[in-house]
Amino acid sequence: MTAPVLDVLNYTLAYAGGAVKALDAVALAIAKGEVLGLVGESGSGKTSLAWAIMRHLPASAREAGEIRLTGRNLLTAAPAEIEAMRGRRIGMVFQDPSTSLNPTLSLGEQLAETLVRHRGLTRAQAWREGEARLARVGLKVSQDMMRRYPHEASGGEKQRVVIATAFACEPELLIFDEPTTALDVITARQILDLFRALQAETGVASLYISHDLALVSQIATRVAVIHRGRIVEHGAIGEVFSCPADAYTQRLLAAVPRPDHRLLASQPAESPRSLVEVDKVSVHYGRKPFLAKLFGRNDTRFTGNRDISLAIRPGEILGVVGESGSGKSTLAKAMTGLNRFDGEIRFDGRRIDGLADMDRAYRRDVQIIFQHPDSSLNPRQRVREILSRPLALYGEPGAKADAGTIDALLEQVRLPADYADRYPHQLSGGEKQRVAIARAFASRPRLVICDEITSALDVSVQAAVIELLVDLQKRFGAAYLFITHDLNLVRQIAHRIAVMYRGDLVDLVDVETLPDSVLHPYTRALLDAVPAPAA
Amino acid sequence: MTVGPFLAPHDPEKMVPLMRYKPPSAQFWLGTDQYGRDTLSRLLHGARATVVLAVIATSLGTLAGTLIGTVSAFLGGRGDEAIMRTVDAIMSIPSLLLALLIVNLLGKSSFNALLAIALAFTPGMARVTRSVALAVRKQDYVNAAIARGESAAFVVGREMLPNVVAPIIVEMTIRVAFAVMLFATLSFLGLGAQPPASEWGLMVSEARRFMHLSPWMILWPSLAIALVAIGFNLLGDGLRDALNPRT
Repeated sequence: MTAPVLDVLNYTLAYAGGAVKALDAVALAIAKGEVLGLVGESGSGKTSLAWAIMRHLPASAREAGEIRLTGRNLLTAAPAEIEAMRGRRIGMVFQDPSTSLNPTLSLGEQLAETLVRHRGLTRAQAWREGEARLARVGLKVSQDMMRRYPHEASGGEKQRVVIATAFACEPELLIFDEPTTALDVITARQILDLFRALQAETGVASLYISHDLALVSQIATRVAVIHRGRIVEHGAIGEVFSCPADAYTQRLLAAVPRPDHRLLASQPAESPRSLVEVDKVSVHYGRKPFLAKLFGRNDTRFTGNRDISLAIRPGEILGVVGESGSGKSTLAKAMTGLNRFDGEIRFDGRRIDGLADMDRAYRRDVQIIFQHPDSSLNPRQRVREILSRPLALYGEPGAKADAGTIDALLEQVRLPADYADRYPHQLSGGEKQRVAIARAFASRPRLVICDEITSALDVSVQAAVIELLVDLQKRFGAAYLFITHDLNLVRQIAHRIAVMYRGDLVDLVDVETLPDSVLHPYTRALLDAVPAPAA
Repeated sequence: MTVGPFLAPHDPEKMVPLMRYKPPSAQFWLGTDQYGRDTLSRLLHGARATVVLAVIATSLGTLAGTLIGTVSAFLGGRGDEAIMRTVDAIMSIPSLLLALLIVNLLGKSSFNALLAIALAFTPGMARVTRSVALAVRKQDYVNAAIARGESAAFVVGREMLPNVVAPIIVEMTIRVAFAVMLFATLSFLGLGAQPPASEWGLMVSEARRFMHLSPWMILWPSLAIALVAIGFNLLGDGLRDALNPRT
């Protein structure tokens, strides 16, 4: 084996004043041409390690150990040396391309600047080189793209530019910090293919940081699993994923959703009529301009949903998938009366034409759980107060929201009763989401709309929340409208899947017949792009 | 402010004709004014009038402004537009001018000056509150409250208001400093407190005519106004640090 490009030896990082070590005795090595996947949940120290390698740590950092780049210990290198090394010898690709590019500079200027700075080219040379680089990362109109500003490019295009910049100086080591997390499934797939091609071509040593095991299993040659600042397992990709030795790795692998592993076998009970029917519902954002109406001009408002029609049977789980901006949440908000809509919704046979028709009974029967538990729970209210509101609003008259009821609600979502007196910021993300679930189920709803409720959670927490939801479904028989972008997850629990694309409902298929159905090309593309589960 | 009157060594309104225009001395620490009244005692008594009135005026203005701003943010759309454009119209009048106008209409008195300042502060506070409340309005807990059919009053009062108060309190303490100065200005112009009250602005105003006889008379109350203004500003800064990093 050749000498490793990056060699991290017994590296420990702590922050002054903090009792916990952010990184504890981390040891890694990456050779030329190798891709090391670093997998861990949020807060495990993945990104701290990336910044430590880039030598960009806050002043309060306390370090020990060594980080060697081709033999040179970076911990003892002078600031000038580090500066010359960054971008030139170590490149980095960040998670969100929309924040890692400067919005006031054109894409070409940002790319050319790197070339001028690190490779000593003149401006004109750098510009030409930049165009060539952009063409190499698969951007068709590279000359045009150079002159565009970040807001004029899509997320995938921006990430391609960032990758082109990172590869531009032919560095020895590249660090990828969740480069596809902020992107849609199909775009992410393309970026991954690009990464693989460029990696094979340049033979650069890469550290690929991700929380997504499936994804890492596809691109990395070796994998390291990090948990609370410690590398718990480290080895070739096949070994780690097929026979994990560490208990944490095993848990992590078990939590990854697999479409073939159904959590809910039964079909919903046959029912003569649907619980809710959504009939040609359209949502437009913005107000109709008064002048436009006067002059009979075309409606230029943004369309969130275009003529959506679907029906949910009692006790059914309907999964809704689609990329961001496809109108999934818009539909959820229309159904809960947060958006104005055209068309009609029939709930249990009753017509709902607009917000005015959503009375107390409808609101009790239809509950929504939001994506971010941080923002869906009022930070100034205790859990008790949060849970007592639906009881006060929908409970039978006279039934007091006493401590026993709150305890029972917490018990339902497997939280200890003493959590009632806590504020939301004293709970973890998963616990907060459980409180939100308890709040939604407090009114014994018949339809629960889950709007991406697990996408802000780590994979092991997600698994627990999903298990809880399935359990509640069995107990109360509520129907779910389960909105997600994770096709693997939705195939585990949904009875039917609706696919949305740019405001339209393009497919509505039974989950069991999904692989062999005649599908809309977009659905087909989505299915192909989803990374197959690990191992 | 509360203990000032008890600490005062002399009666603030007691005139000693033989001791006029005295510089600071052992008997009169800060000197005396044109009627031979003790400046220190007048300052200590005046603190009550000046600072208490400023705080009350600011609180009134804040309360009104916060309600308007939060309701406006909650309504959104056309209601928001209507309220905020009205507020803009009022804001386009300089606050001192507006206060002068109101006092002139209502008559000269401390109470009217208080009302005038409260009114002059309302639009600004409404603006600040609305910007904070708009961010809160987008939060899912407000959406959740609307989706479960809570009344508008509950959403504004229980869900939104508690989450906008922190920045508002900070803004308020900073504005108290302005209120002190605005009060002093009104009194200085003869529209706020009336003689023989020992309001600081009034003291400056009266002392102005005798500046050549005793510069101390004008120096002390001006310094007091400046100190209180700076003090409240620092308090605001401190509160901001204390209230904001809340997780």
